[in-house]
Amino acid sequence: MSLDIYKINPEFRDIMPKEIIDLEENATWAQNQDKPRGIKELPQTKELIEEHSLCAGCPEAATLRYVLSALPKPEETVIVNSTGCTSLMFPHIALHTVHSLFGNQNSVASGIKRVLEWRFPDKQKDVVVLAGDGATVDIGLDYTLQSFFRQEKITTICFDNEVYANTGGQESGMTAKGQVFKMAPTGKKFEKVPMWELAKTSGCHYSVNMTGSAPKAVAKAVREAILVAREIGPTFLNIYTPCILEIGLSANEGLGEMKAGDKHRFEFYRHVSPEAEEYLKKCKEEGLL
Amino acid sequence: MAKDSIKIRMPALGGQGAVTAAHIAATAADTEGYYAVSNPFFGAEKRMAPSESYARIGTVPIYDRGEVIYPDIVMIYHPQVITMGKSYTMPFYAGVKENGLIIINSERDLLTAHDKKILDDLNVKVLTKDFTEFAIQEAGTELATNMAMLGSLFGALGTISKPAIEEGIKDRFLKKYTASGGTATLDSVIEKKFKKKMDLIQKNLDTASAAFDLTAEWADQVGLEQILEAPKK
Amino acid sequence: MGKITDMTETHNWSGQKLVSIEHMLFEAPRTKHFMTGSEVLKEAVKRATVDASVSYPITPQSEAAHLIGELWAEGYVGVYFRGENEFGVMSEVAGCSMAGARTVTTTSGPGTLRAMENFAMWSGTRAPMQLCLMARGINSPLTIQPDNLEVQYLLETGCMIWYAENVQELFDMSLAAFTVAEQPDVHVPIITAVDGFFVSHTREAVELPADDIALKPYNPYAAPLPPIDSEMPPGRFLRDPFVMKSNYISYATHASWQWEIRSAVERSKPYARKLLNGLVHVTGNEDAEIAFVTCGTASNQAKEGQRELEKLGIKSKVLKLRTIRPFPEEELIKELEGVKHVIVPEFNVVGWLANEVKAKLYGKVDVNIHAGPRVAGGMSLPAEAIIQEVQEVLNAAKGA
Repeated sequence: MSLDIYKINPEFRDIMPKEIIDLEENATWAQNQDKPRGIKELPQTKELIEEHSLCAGCPEAATLRYVLSALPKPEETVIVNSTGCTSLMFPHIALHTVHSLFGNQNSVASGIKRVLEWRFPDKQKDVVVLAGDGATVDIGLDYTLQSFFRQEKITTICFDNEVYANTGGQESGMTAKGQVFKMAPTGKKFEKVPMWELAKTSGCHYSVNMTGSAPKAVAKAVREAILVAREIGPTFLNIYTPCILEIGLSANEGLGEMKAGDKHRFEFYRHVSPEAEEYLKKCKEEGLL
Repeated sequence: MAKDSIKIRMPALGGQGAVTAAHIAATAADTEGYYAVSNPFFGAEKRMAPSESYARIGTVPIYDRGEVIYPDIVMIYHPQVITMGKSYTMPFYAGVKENGLIIINSERDLLTAHDKKILDDLNVKVLTKDFTEFAIQEAGTELATNMAMLGSLFGALGTISKPAIEEGIKDRFLKKYTASGGTATLDSVIEKKFKKKMDLIQKNLDTASAAFDLTAEWADQVGLEQILEAPKK
Repeated sequence: MGKITDMTETHNWSGQKLVSIEHMLFEAPRTKHFMTGSEVLKEAVKRATVDASVSYPITPQSEAAHLIGELWAEGYVGVYFRGENEFGVMSEVAGCSMAGARTVTTTSGPGTLRAMENFAMWSGTRAPMQLCLMARGINSPLTIQPDNLEVQYLLETGCMIWYAENVQELFDMSLAAFTVAEQPDVHVPIITAVDGFFVSHTREAVELPADDIALKPYNPYAAPLPPIDSEMPPGRFLRDPFVMKSNYISYATHASWQWEIRSAVERSKPYARKLLNGLVHVTGNEDAEIAFVTCGTASNQAKEGQRELEKLGIKSKVLKLRTIRPFPEEELIKELEGVKHVIVPEFNVVGWLANEVKAKLYGKVDVNIHAGPRVAGGMSLPAEAIIQEVQEVLNAAKGA
């Protein structure tokens, strides 16, 4: 049982910080298999992320917390990340995470997933990619789509803030047409890349476009995506997590922006292949959803 | 003995305008007839994260680049630089040269007896003042803290005139300025506060000027010797 | 298709008997075969209990890459697939190695450059994967022939670089490579370079041990950094973005980490000396005043040259470098005692090996170092050209 790797050496227990002790005693691990993990446990348990160093009110940071709360089996989950604001949160996560090069996250994830299947044929290990829009759709597009073509059993979650935020606010492929950002001083000239549709045509069995406005909806999508990836094939979640700094909002205005998104540009999109639909039905019957 | 070239290190927190301050300091010095260089040094652009900037001013060409590891003047823009170690050097005055100057924005004295002994032995003078409160009083906003600190720096130096400082401030706020996302956001916030840009300029000048005067007076009182020689005209 | 769970204490999942590297290289009885470099790489991988390989086509390494695929279909290799381009492949290889697999891959020329960003990431991650580099010219213009300029690009990536001269050496080196790279006090990637076509497609005699034995498997838990498999407390790869805290922490960490990687490469020397039978292989006239310093195919050509020069009454010796990183400085200095002229024939336009030799020997040995003759684009370097160059060097020395 991999939770043992998070047990503190008894000789050092008395000098461990409270957060580490909390992690061992009261974290949101998949302890209780009767009901799936979710948002409901957050108020009473230690989250799998210890602080974060992003801006106050960052929607990405909030959404990451929903994602971590929804992983079906976090102690057997490897998260592959990429350069950007998300990579600044990763050292604070209690799980195995990898940050490799900008854009190669789906390649690294493919290698990890296949080797973990080879080395542990009797265990279920989930590999989840968490990256921004620049990493997923621009510099990493080739590797993202190719991992879908190859039917890699991984879940790709894109934190779409429609801009290269960490480098100071440059246009990305996911920026809306007409939006002015650096490197697009007269507005972006081409449409936002419909990555969730590309995911579908490239072979994803489950593809969603949504915002991070509703924690439970995010948790549900994450859980479904990971379950489908276990058995059927690659899955993709595009989540609008606006960069409040780059679009000039204050710390408490991020949620409103996402809710506005729900109504217009980020109306909920969900594609599920027939096999995945079948499988999710089964999961629901078995109480995994 | 006034030097022909000095280095200034400004450890601050992101969002305080230390980068802007270094820029204005160098511009003002340049206007006054000095050679001057300014540059920032920070990790990811983030509010309240360490953000350090430097200005090098002299009567001789300046070749040195990068961080200022051996400063003549250290300006601490926020108490957390010291209390929370949000600094690239430990202690915050590491490397400070003899006969130097430290300006600390804090409402209370943050130096230990140990610190004071070391700085005393180096004949480094320390000015601790709540410049944030000062800025709020003079300009009505804490975003003018950097202006107050700048004024203080020039008051202590004595060789950069108020007209040169005005030139530096105008250059920064009136001309088209390439700013990062975070800086641009703060620029627009401060602009909204003032009906006209000129009101903003004036308030900044007034704040800097007031800080200039009080620091010049302090320098006199504590016997701060001239740090940088006057520019060769 | 074998499963890793079929592996026992004594046999791997293909039923091969697990043996030590010493047994494989020095003790196991060998029989003679006649094959190309590509084919021999397959034979090495077959006997190496390899967990994973990722492939992509580019001349001249495509055969070797697809032959490893056959091994996978036959059950010898655990994970295998074709990647989308070399950058993707090397990142996939990184993922495999990070997750605890003994991993091997191949590439050439333009492919190497396509993948370039990965190599420094590999070494920085302390992952012990093996890249068999089948050297080929770099564009532009395009040439598929064996020019080894690409090795120069790799010199400072922090990876070990070994150079095999022929098919036999490729077999033995690629097996030793896994062992040395995986030593806990080394644990950095290893590049086994070999010249494309001159070795990959050239058929020659080789002595191979039987294929019912194989190397012991890789133990990822003996590594200096834990594998990413959720079976050990988490390590971090490309760790905490220190840039977040401060540039000071990030550059101090980067600096110390990079020094450590170079030290790790140096620490490989005792293991490499033992398993390669020395970092420098010396042939020719012991008391010669002329020494060729070579790697790869230039060694072959220099040996031909040495034989012909002897007939002309000119003594010379060939100092073949088996390792480029680490650079065998001590061995070279010792072998150059009494030598007056060092000749460095190469298969690239810049003479990177001559530059290396000059840089490492400066102030330590009193010799004339002659960078040449050189060919580029994958041209062949006949012994005649080497002989002519030696004679010109000797004449010039007499004249002076």
